Amino acid sequence: MTDSSIWWRIAWRNLWRNRRRTAITASALAFGFFVSVFMIGVADGIVDSMVEDGTRIVTGQIQVHDPGYRPERSLHSTLGGRDGVDVSAFLDRIGEVGGVTGAAPRVYGGGLLSSGEETVAAGFMGVDPLLEPGVSGILAAVTEGRAPRPGAREVAIGSEMARKLGVGAGAELVLVVPAADGSMGNDLYTVSGVFRTGLPGLDAFQAVVPIDVFQDLLALEPNRIHEIGIDLRSASAARDVATEMEVVLSSLGVEVAVEPWTVFRRELYEYVSMASAANSIIVFIVFAMAIFGVANTMLMATYERRREFAVVRALGGTPGSVARTVVFEGIVLGVVSLIAGALITAPVMMWVHAHPIDLSGFTDEIRAAGSVMRPLIQVAYSVKGPLISSVALLLTSLFAALYPAFRAVRVPPADALAGR
Amino acid sequence: MADRVRIDHCVTSIGLIAALSILPLVPPAGLSGQSALEIVDRVDRLMRGESSQARVSMEIVTENWSRSLDLEIWSLGTEYSLVRLLAPPREAGTATLMVAQEVWNYLPRVDRTIKVPPSLMMGSWMGSHFTNDDLVKEGRLIEDYDISIAFEGARDGVQVWEIELVPKPEAPIVWDKIVWQVRQADLLPTWARYYGEGDELERTMTFDGYRTFGGRLVPALLTVIPADKPRETTTVRYDELLFDIDLSPDFFSLRNLRTRR
Repeated sequence: MTDSSIWWRIAWRNLWRNRRRTAITASALAFGFFVSVFMIGVADGIVDSMVEDGTRIVTGQIQVHDPGYRPERSLHSTLGGRDGVDVSAFLDRIGEVGGVTGAAPRVYGGGLLSSGEETVAAGFMGVDPLLEPGVSGILAAVTEGRAPRPGAREVAIGSEMARKLGVGAGAELVLVVPAADGSMGNDLYTVSGVFRTGLPGLDAFQAVVPIDVFQDLLALEPNRIHEIGIDLRSASAARDVATEMEVVLSSLGVEVAVEPWTVFRRELYEYVSMASAANSIIVFIVFAMAIFGVANTMLMATYERRREFAVVRALGGTPGSVARTVVFEGIVLGVVSLIAGALITAPVMMWVHAHPIDLSGFTDEIRAAGSVMRPLIQVAYSVKGPLISSVALLLTSLFAALYPAFRAVRVPPADALAGR
Repeated sequence: MADRVRIDHCVTSIGLIAALSILPLVPPAGLSGQSALEIVDRVDRLMRGESSQARVSMEIVTENWSRSLDLEIWSLGTEYSLVRLLAPPREAGTATLMVAQEVWNYLPRVDRTIKVPPSLMMGSWMGSHFTNDDLVKEGRLIEDYDISIAFEGARDGVQVWEIELVPKPEAPIVWDKIVWQVRQADLLPTWARYYGEGDELERTMTFDGYRTFGGRLVPALLTVIPADKPRETTTVRYDELLFDIDLSPDFFSLRNLRTRR
């Protein structure tokens, strides 16, 4: 221990023999650390908001279905089959699971919406107008008019659909859907409002109606629903919460499928996984650039000390001890840089986290993988970002010292001392 | 998508009856040595310009429900037809008008007429195993299909032709192939099989209950079975059928769709 601590002290002292050079090298590494942590934070921030925004537009973060509902989405595959379920018991149980912030029942059907002159195919979503805002933003996205009221024959339609039908809030539409008994359910509905989510598929195809009147139109009993959409405090917990929820719901004696967004929003999950993989590339590039700079300065430092190493060797110092001096120097440099890096990174991260940088003056909202984002640069805290950046920094300083150490060992004592 | 399948229409839809009713008028002996194309061409030519009126009951059985509809059907040539629901009472008055390639539905409950958008032409008609598209009749078979005799000889002791219809490359038709079995003796069809992508059977239509309406022998019972749900069927039974009635294109108007009872 004492044996090795002396080498650390030598490394430390050597480091400060040329303060300016060490300070510059350490700054480069510290700045690399900052860039790495910040970029990962921004990437994670984008991913987080994609997931949060993407799942809050309409789907929710967990969905409960009849096991046979997906992927065919048959009208008849309601929760609990033909007998239906006690919907409020389900909602109560779901609300008791930790991390759940909202749950809402839904009924789906596909059919026609007609203004008389124009008719479009539409996907209908029957929602509880009181519970749905706790899960998705579809009703909050109503920009003209208002959301449909419970029990009223009212429909909210997407902006693109409204344009195609040539109608706005207050207009009367005929709604036609194949009902569960084989008949053609049809009735007159008033357009209560027009929503704009920014997702072309939703805005052109989706119509939202109160769940009770829609069940009536579909000839479904009030206890027959297709889905319970669930919102969580944190989307990243969805898988764990879903597993727990499956256990909790099994006590109700109805076979159900509880799926997190990573399953029913597969494309979003894959996009996000890809974005996370890109983080490693950021770290790699930043430190790959740094490693040459650091290796270069350390190589310079060893050349300057050729005579010194020659003396050490002449006095009986082993090649190993020479190499160790240089490598330890690199490690100490890494630790110093890391501390400096952490000191500059932490306050910037905290500040940007609290005050996201708004780019909406420069660009429109961004759409990808079924999600809509405001153009905000926000950083997410994570353990992973600083951790892999730290490891990368220390490895960089270690590897950057290896070649200079090798060169130092190869110094021929006699020639160096003779100034040859 | 909206404009596909000619044979489809004449075999499945109301036009079928008009088509088949003509068949016995063709002297079978004269046809025996002819090509499949000539057989179908004659049927097709004779089919056009005919009018009919029918009372039909339709039984639909699905995995989840079954129901029965009473229909009244009028048709004129290949361009026009009108179907009105007489029962069940809750839906009585609901009507479908087909003119050329377009389909309108009249909904008495809301007193509105709705044109079926092209994207839903492949959707089910009134919950049955017929699509809206099946109901639309148009054009001539020989223009859209390459027609050949796939089999000629005895099946279960009956001399038949099996005529294969393959859509021409440019024809807007969803089927990959249709095979149609016709009895040589009276030129009446016994079944039609519809094949989708990869020559996979998608549905089978069987003809039965041959009886005489207005001096013409026709299959009065028609059953559709989707290949992927063999327990589901739609059965159409003709109870009354009149030919060559006095109908003009004016009859097939949107106004008539909503007012006539």
